[in-house]
Amino acid sequence: MNMHFYAFGSICRGEVDKASDVDILACITGPNSDIDTEKFSVYQHDRLRRLWTEGNPFAWHLHLESRLLFSSDGIDFIASLGAPAAYTAGEEDCNKFANLFFDSFNQLLKTRVNATFNLSCMFLGIRNFATCYSIWHGHPVFSRRSPLLIDSPLSIDAEAFGVLTRARVLSTRGIGLALSDQEVMLVLRAAPAIQSWMRQLLAEVRR
Amino acid sequence: MTEFNNRIAAQREVLLAVNSVHWREELYGMSSGALERWVQANSLNRCSKLVSLLLEVAGKLFFLANKSQEQVTAEYRLHSSEVSELTEAIRLEVQQLQVLGTDMDKN
Repeated sequence: MNMHFYAFGSICRGEVDKASDVDILACITGPNSDIDTEKFSVYQHDRLRRLWTEGNPFAWHLHLESRLLFSSDGIDFIASLGAPAAYTAGEEDCNKFANLFFDSFNQLLKTRVNATFNLSCMFLGIRNFATCYSIWHGHPVFSRRSPLLIDSPLSIDAEAFGVLTRARVLSTRGIGLALSDQEVMLVLRAAPAIQSWMRQLLAEVRR
Repeated sequence: MTEFNNRIAAQREVLLAVNSVHWREELYGMSSGALERWVQANSLNRCSKLVSLLLEVAGKLFFLANKSQEQVTAEYRLHSSEVSELTEAIRLEVQQLQVLGTDMDKN
């Protein structure tokens, strides 16, 4: 069975901080019982080929930023796939992640129960929205700070963005200082500017 | 609703069921890291029914998370149904702990 391992994500951009993890992609064919799916992103070779055909954002991410660590057959599988198909789902994906942001924000307005989880989802919505927009726009940015780095960046209070990032790390990795009520309020105050930015970019991708 | 949105909604439902009662610290997510933090922060017994149910549903949600790029399939619907049943069991377990007046910090 051929196996290929790649590093991807923050480690390939040199974006390392205390909250960073190391993303490793395992490309396999057949069963994967020996590979811990909590430690690796496990994809079948055929599934990756389909992502390339679809022009999926993850295919673009791997194409542009992954680094080969190991190949059982001496072939760089991802390089052999060439460039993915053109990204055509920009509008659909931006809508999906905008909805995630708006739904989570509305939940947060209703109740402070699950506040950290909802802030985490708001961060995921903003970050993925920005990344999908950037691919659609032709200048892909895969950084977790993509909202601040794309061609039409989000203007947001740095502390509020830091709170959103912490919420994501708390929700996905369970590490970091718990959020205070004041910090939640800080994000709520920043939300109108985020909504306005999203609506502006959504109008652009819908044209 | 997309498969992605379904997965987020499923996580939110589980978390609402758990966090509807007062804990020393809320459960922040269904990742293994978030669950481990919650168990420790609340001095919970890892063998309790509630923790076992959460670990089980977390396992299924992680499976679904790994499928985030996939289209909705019969396989996905099967797991969604299992997640719904587990969520209901978690809701009942939390309610029972509350009705019994159990100190949530000790379970």
